[in-house]
Order: sequence, then structure tokens, then C-alpha cells
Amino acid sequence: MIYKLIKVLDKRFGIEKAKAHCDIPCGIYDPITGQIAALTVVRMIDLMNDLENKHPAGGLEAQNSMSRYVASKEEHAEKAKHEIRVIWGDYIKPQHMEKHPELQDLVHKIMQLGSKSRQTADRETAIQFVEAINQFAEIFWETKGIAVKRAKAPYAPALEMIYPDL
Amino acid sequence: MFKFVKISNNSLLPKYQEGDYVLIVKIPLFLNSVRRGDVVVFRHPLYGMMIKKVSRVAGDGKEIYVVGTHENSVDSRQFGAVRKDALIGKVIWHIGKPFR
Repeated sequence: MIYKLIKVLDKRFGIEKAKAHCDIPCGIYDPITGQIAALTVVRMIDLMNDLENKHPAGGLEAQNSMSRYVASKEEHAEKAKHEIRVIWGDYIKPQHMEKHPELQDLVHKIMQLGSKSRQTADRETAIQFVEAINQFAEIFWETKGIAVKRAKAPYAPALEMIYPDL
Repeated sequence: MFKFVKISNNSLLPKYQEGDYVLIVKIPLFLNSVRRGDVVVFRHPLYGMMIKKVSRVAGDGKEIYVVGTHENSVDSRQFGAVRKDALIGKVIWHIGKPFR
């Protein structure tokens, strides 16, 4: 009631603003970095499977490549989780939660799938990780009033991704 | 003596959100007695009018150090102390958005 009254006064007379300033340009958020990182996890698992099929006996070079794929899988799974945490913590507001009460469970699911993608080489889990972040992206763009489209990523593993339809 | 101010940006999350209003008191007696934990509005030469929480009052009482409660806050950790004569007011009433 009081808030609404002051807001009316603000619109009528204009209340001066005081900045609670942050050092990042707040407002620049995009889940695509998290989506691409999750997609990279699937790509690393595919490369790991290819390598194992080509070099079932292992060998130094194969071990070296496998180590690099695993390290990259680890890095990108964590990066995807980080990107979602930033949007969750810095962008998502109570009004978004009111409109999308499923967000809480969805973000928790993304964290769990990200961890499982690090712990295992299970492609199905990694695909679920990509899809959960896609769902997050759909909600994110909805909060901005921007329509989205589903399209295959233009690079391997060419999974479907959510993109803003600009 | 009193003034309403609207908050922009989010360095005082989670308590103060963008779009909230605060009522500040501009009486010098109140400004001279600011202490740690008070939320104050002041004028910064680069950033303009800012709102932050007082983290420390300098020994001579002429300067204060301010912080935000968000990890990305720009405050005295970057721009140093704020002179007391740059203070505009001290927050005495916080009017948050009603959906909380």
C-alpha cells in the first residue's frame, strides 16, 4: 500500500535515484554460455567413446588424449553449472519465481546432472544436462519477453538447443 | 530534512532491491552520528548518488568507509573512504516491493 503510494508519487514527481552500484554491467545475462558448455560435455563423451573404439588397447598417445577429453569434460560441466548459478543468483528475482515456481527444482536438477556428468561418462546423463539447461533458457528468455526457437547446434554433437528468436 | 530516494542496481542485495524506496534524513546531527551498520546515501564524484552500508568510521570522524552486501559491489574497497561532507542522508525507513 505504502509502496504503491510512493510509486505513484515517483511517477508524478520523479524521485531521485541512488545507485547501489555493482562492478559488472548488470543486465548482461545469457544462458547460451551454459548451454554451449553442457553441449561440450556431450562432445567430450563422444570423443572418449571414439577413442576407446579406435584404441581398445590404450597406449601412451591414447591415454594422453583421453586425459585431455576427461579434463575438458570436467571443466565444461563445472562451467555450465557456474553460468546457471550466476543467472540464478544475480538475475532471477522473486517475481520470476512466482511466475515459474518450477525454477527452484530445475536449477537443483541442473546442478545434480552437472555433477553426475563429471562423475561418469554417461552420454544419456549429459544429454539430460543439456536439455535441463535448455529448459532454463526457455524460462530465462520468457522473463525477458523474448520468443525462442529450437534448432540443432551447427556443430557436433548437433543436439537441439534453445535460441532467442530475434 | 527528509527525502525519498529510489534504489537502482543491486549491490545491497538481498535486503535492498532495485526499485525499492528509502526515506533518508538529511539533518546534520543525524549525519554526524552515523555509525557502522547504518545505510547512507552520499555523493560520489565519479558514480553520482550512491547508497551503501557503513563499514567503518575513520578515527578522526571525518571519513567513513562503505560497502555493499553483494559480492560485485563497487564501494570503499575500490574507491576508498568517503568524506562525511559528501553524505546526503541516512536511511531511516526502507519501503520494499510488496511481493516479498
